[in-house]
Amino acid sequence: MAKRVLIVDDAMFMRAAVKRILDQAGFDIVGEAENGQVAVIKYNELQPDAVLMDITMPEMDGICACRCILKAYPNAKIIMCTALGQQNMVVEALQAGAKDYIIKPFQPDRVVEGLTKVLGA
Amino acid sequence: MRIEFLDPFVKGAFAVLSQVIADTPERGALAIRSNTFTSQQVTIMAGVNGDVEGTALYGMSLITAQKIASAMMCTEGAQMDDMAWSAISELGNMITGNATRLLYDAGFESDITPPTVLRGSNIEISTKSPTLVVPINTKFGQIEINVAIAETCKMAKAA
Repeated sequence: MAKRVLIVDDAMFMRAAVKRILDQAGFDIVGEAENGQVAVIKYNELQPDAVLMDITMPEMDGICACRCILKAYPNAKIIMCTALGQQNMVVEALQAGAKDYIIKPFQPDRVVEGLTKVLGA
Repeated sequence: MRIEFLDPFVKGAFAVLSQVIADTPERGALAIRSNTFTSQQVTIMAGVNGDVEGTALYGMSLITAQKIASAMMCTEGAQMDDMAWSAISELGNMITGNATRLLYDAGFESDITPPTVLRGSNIEISTKSPTLVVPINTKFGQIEINVAIAETCKMAKAA
């Protein structure tokens, strides 16, 4: 059964790019969110196997959303997806419980590899 | 504005463009402007804050923006719809992200703010410092990099 993934990014282009990569790799994209607040709501609704989460977003950033989700679901598997240069934020996210991170611009293989590793597939 | 603050943005642009449009751009001549205006049809504006603060602008023609967006979206002749503008905005995010990584390596820790895409030339942008300008020539046309970044008071005092 395909692993269910929630994509969170404020950039429509990035959501579409990640969706295309994961579709081709056989993942099931169960939802998309454009900010952290929507991500928390959608996580509650959809209970995905993994989340690909951008860091810098309006309304609620990815680190805050990561904390919110992990508080309610300590076993949530969240991978941060961020522009190079946000290393402090990446460290903060990993300390908050994110499992891995991917740097933009990314190669499709890196996204699939990161998710596969985190999901233990 | 210190000249060494420009280089990370140029290097960042080279690194990102080599990945997203598979091109090695050529760097043009450096210029300085006391006032910052958008000189191109499309300008991506990204903020930097932390040990250094200011604004980076990436200007290009609409045709260049359309060609870059098409390459990023893996399509030909993409319409400049919301998706294409989102791709152009993301280009600015990735270049600025790369630049702040290089600034971090040079001892200046900073974060980036989500980019905004401006359409139209001759829009004045308020900046705290003079702007260093360098054009880079890509296979899809010229991108003009404008950087108006200065050390914050804390860093200037520590120096």
